[in-house]
Amino acid sequence: MTVLLVLLCVALITIIVVQVGKVTELASKIRGEEEMQEAANRRHGFYLMAFMILFLVATVVSTLYYKNYFLGYGPHKSASAHGGTLDYLFDVTLFFTGIVFVITQILLFYYGYRYKAQRGTKASFISHDNKLEIVWTVIPAVVMAFLVISGLDAWNEVMADVGEDEEYIEIEATGYQFAWGLRYPGADGELGRKDFRLIKPGSNDLGIDWNDERSLDDFLPNEIVLPVNKKVRVRITARDVLHNFYLPHFRLKMDAVPGIPTYFVFTPTKTTEEYRQELSQYEEYQVPADPTDPESPMLWEDFNYELACAELCGRGHWSMQKIVRIVSEEEYEAWKATQTPHYEQLIKGTDDDPYKEDTVEETTEEVEESTSEAEAPASEEETEEAH
Amino acid sequence: MEIAVAKEYTRNRIHPKKFALLVACASILMMFAAFSSAYIVRQAAGNWLEFSMPSLFYVNTLVIVLSSITLHASYISFKRGNANLYKGLLVITLLLGFAFLVLQYQAWQQMVAIGIELTTNPSGSFVYVISGAHAAHILGGVAALLIALIHAFMLKYEVTAGRKLRFELTLIYWHFVDFLWIYILLFFTLQS
Amino acid sequence: MANIATQSQPEVLREDMLIEELGFDDHFHDHHHGDKYQSNFINTYVFSQDHKVIAKQFLITGMFWAVVGALMSLVFRLQLGFPEESIAWLKPVLGKWVEINAEGFGTLSQDFYYALVTMHGTILVFFVLTAGLSGTFSNLLIPLQLGARDMASPFLNMLSYWFFFLAGAIMFASLFISTGPFSGGWVAYPPLSALPQASQGSGAGMTLWTLSLVFFVVSVLLGGINYITTVLNLRTKGMSLWRMPLTIWAFFITAIIGLLSFPVLVSAFLLLMFDRGMGTSFFLSDIYIGGQALDHVGGSPILFQHLFWFLGHPEVYIIILPAMGLVSEVLSVHSRKPIFGYKAMVYSIMAIAFLSFIVWAHHMFMSGVNPFISNFFVIFTLIIAVPSAVKVFNWIATLYKGNIRLNAASLFAIGFVSMFISGGLTGIFLGNSALDIQLHDTYFVVAHFHIVMGVAAFFGMFAGIYNWFPKMYGRFMNDTLGKIHFWGTLVGAYAIFWPMHYLGMAGVPRRYFSFDSFQAFAHFDGMNQFITIGAILTFAFQVIFIVNFFYSIWKGKKMTTRNPWGATTLEWTTPIERIHGNWPDKLPTVQRWAYDYGKDGKEFISQVEPLGPDEKEVH
Repeated sequence: MTVLLVLLCVALITIIVVQVGKVTELASKIRGEEEMQEAANRRHGFYLMAFMILFLVATVVSTLYYKNYFLGYGPHKSASAHGGTLDYLFDVTLFFTGIVFVITQILLFYYGYRYKAQRGTKASFISHDNKLEIVWTVIPAVVMAFLVISGLDAWNEVMADVGEDEEYIEIEATGYQFAWGLRYPGADGELGRKDFRLIKPGSNDLGIDWNDERSLDDFLPNEIVLPVNKKVRVRITARDVLHNFYLPHFRLKMDAVPGIPTYFVFTPTKTTEEYRQELSQYEEYQVPADPTDPESPMLWEDFNYELACAELCGRGHWSMQKIVRIVSEEEYEAWKATQTPHYEQLIKGTDDDPYKEDTVEETTEEVEESTSEAEAPASEEETEEAH
Repeated sequence: MEIAVAKEYTRNRIHPKKFALLVACASILMMFAAFSSAYIVRQAAGNWLEFSMPSLFYVNTLVIVLSSITLHASYISFKRGNANLYKGLLVITLLLGFAFLVLQYQAWQQMVAIGIELTTNPSGSFVYVISGAHAAHILGGVAALLIALIHAFMLKYEVTAGRKLRFELTLIYWHFVDFLWIYILLFFTLQS
Repeated sequence: MANIATQSQPEVLREDMLIEELGFDDHFHDHHHGDKYQSNFINTYVFSQDHKVIAKQFLITGMFWAVVGALMSLVFRLQLGFPEESIAWLKPVLGKWVEINAEGFGTLSQDFYYALVTMHGTILVFFVLTAGLSGTFSNLLIPLQLGARDMASPFLNMLSYWFFFLAGAIMFASLFISTGPFSGGWVAYPPLSALPQASQGSGAGMTLWTLSLVFFVVSVLLGGINYITTVLNLRTKGMSLWRMPLTIWAFFITAIIGLLSFPVLVSAFLLLMFDRGMGTSFFLSDIYIGGQALDHVGGSPILFQHLFWFLGHPEVYIIILPAMGLVSEVLSVHSRKPIFGYKAMVYSIMAIAFLSFIVWAHHMFMSGVNPFISNFFVIFTLIIAVPSAVKVFNWIATLYKGNIRLNAASLFAIGFVSMFISGGLTGIFLGNSALDIQLHDTYFVVAHFHIVMGVAAFFGMFAGIYNWFPKMYGRFMNDTLGKIHFWGTLVGAYAIFWPMHYLGMAGVPRRYFSFDSFQAFAHFDGMNQFITIGAILTFAFQVIFIVNFFYSIWKGKKMTTRNPWGATTLEWTTPIERIHGNWPDKLPTVQRWAYDYGKDGKEFISQVEPLGPDEKEVH
């Protein structure tokens, strides 16, 4: 039905268009080509100016209107140490390109209007001006050189990997269709080896190699929790296709490539609470988070940092969300203490446990000790028999 | 349909169709350049199984160089009025072209025999794919030779400008795929 | 006072006399009198070897694909703008790709959403903006503006169109197969594109997609070979390289870029096909999918990206350079002024072409490439902004002190410059890798490339169509409708794509079916609705263009003089009714450059006019 309506509209537009066309052609025959063209030049010259003004005003006004949603502006100052540099670079670039934008758009539309052909006007034969060419080649080149130098300076600093002696927390994120597998190194501070051939869905989704002792304390949380002001190195991998580890509020983005681990080093500088406080100052965020439920918490209260995927990975690419919480160091330690190593949770004692023999013996000994303690006097004969 | 091209105002001394063919060859070369750089980049990344090129690759080089010589000789005979030599050499060239294709296949068999299959290791994969893509272009050249042969035997022998041009175009293309093979083999040999 | 110049009868006679007396006699019509070349309908209109007919074939096929690609974008914009609205009404058209739930509410299947996005990109970048733009105007104008009878090889030219047609047919077929068309993005990154297990569209749909594009590349190469050979070999007497119009320079250099870059795409696809079907590991490694650890080990997805973007980046210049050439010509003719800085413009085109080959990895800053390498790509990317800026300044200077005829063609040319400024400037943000950390894969990128390609290049194409329609069909398109088309599209295009900058600056990623999963991206319902409505309205304005175009082919106002715009270039010295071989007798001899507008008080001086006794040539 709707399709029929759409087709009807198209047919109607067609008829109108053809009739308008015929009318204008008739008018031009009556009034004469030259006069029509001259009138058209005047009319469209004015339209060019009108458009220019509307366009420039609309762009400036709308930018200001949405400012408080832009990352780097309003409440969204960077939540990472390096982010401020990048935001500043954006501002500098905006400054230069903004100037060029305004000047060139104005000149373009203004000249279109100012030099429109009217009765008695003539064009000047100006074919080139080499000096001018040099000027407007050199100036952009200089501006570009400046942007390149500041940009690369920032880039090389931000992308550098951790140094030999630096202290940092390493965590790992593995993208897969369609979620993130997170892994923390546990007490030893080191992530264990993993290999895709060891993957066992349900018990070992990441293919962690339990033969590597460093793996035994690794835990796999459902959200990213990090202490504020501590350097973090995120090890980024993928299990099936390309994904991308994207933390918008931290100005962090890096592809996750199956077979080639990538990384990003950053230091969060604002706790979730602090960010919420900042948001609460802005009108846009002083509304109920759920527009249909006026009782729901405010948008700013409800805020959380989020992890998103930023490389097309299939039908569920848009849904790979995880919460990221930046907390005080105490809260972080407290949270870590509540996390159980994955090995303890799901592997120990099962067939996948490479240390199964030792752990069985250990457990049996523990059982013996506890039974012997519990039933001290009469147990000795029984335990001997049990052996 | 031919565009009459007067000599006075063409910019180059090269006939437009020859020029067009050379441009096409440059294009084909770019594809192999891409393969070459992919090879180099991958090789640098490690996990690269070294092996020596099958001996038949070298035999085939002689085959294709010989075929270029016979084709060139056929062309000269054509121009000089030696109809029988022209046709005979054309037949030999075509046979050598076929031989090249057959021997390439057998060279692949040699690789399989020493344990290098298509999927064994990227080093092998590249050799198969690149030599295969080249063989596809040889096949195109063989098709052109076949047409040349059919013309040679079906048409009355006559040295016209049109026929000379067609022969030259076939010759340029054949020399090109010959040169391409030499480049590819040199590349493989030097890289390993 | 400039208007549709009615080139007077004396001027026409003078040109014909100059061609008769000073022209070059190649005895063309002696050879082609009554030849089999255009003896029946099939030869004349289907497998035509006449460059003018082939140009129209490219144009109309390109227009068809533009409508298909645009309709696809309307469907996925409906999803993005109005996710709460049922699209059950589209089920008759889209069949199983619309999922209806128990309450009769229809949503677009997510797989199909991504297929639409992929196809939209593929169709518009390749079929419309490459074949439809270059194919049309290179074919139409190269022989005509150079004083040649036809292309160097009319036969290869005919093949070039039919390979394009074949590519289109295969791509069209891929839309209807059961597992669906390819849906991995027009960039087709492996492993997603290599593994049918990763996505439905990566099954048979991807195979057809690749096959289609290989044929497409053949078409582009055949065309390019012809363009280059014709420019270098078939220029008429007196047509030195520095007397060629800028359109020809643009098409020529574009063809060279294409010839050097498209074969690399073929190599990438060949290796990808081997990974897909033959078990090799060029691009794949360490993959666990569909409950299985795959055998592929040692490959790198990043290698594919290098090979792809080695074509991918020059491709966007292949799109924009011809549009720039058309705009230069249109602005000059309708301003009655030479294009400002002709030589600087030529050198800029060359600089852009050269630089376009060494910036490709700016698409890969966040791919896991060694950051050190990215330094070089940043440098060259920001350098390429310089010749681009020079061209903008030269266009603006062309308007300065001109005597501008504001018709549909020149308005679109002016609109092109506006769009190129807007879209080009955002490229400066993206080219700086540090900023790309934040902006990569967000709507900021989508805004950038749509404004430069999806709008500016289109505007160049429209300017070309309105300007050269009389040359193609001997009639005019209705100019009032053309102006309505212009204003609607200018306002509409900015309405669609300008807000996308804001989405990008807010961090909203691209290629998202829905923004509901993230608090951070959920604030923009109003903006998305606005964009979608803008898209629908802008598309409606294109209907005006299409109707105008086809109606005018048969019922448009007839040309009464053969040079209605008062242009200097050679195509306007050919008869109104197109003939095979272009000129009825001798070929024109060229005596001067293409931009003597307003020189010595004359409105324009045709290129065939010899220099006066004391006259100096400009270049």
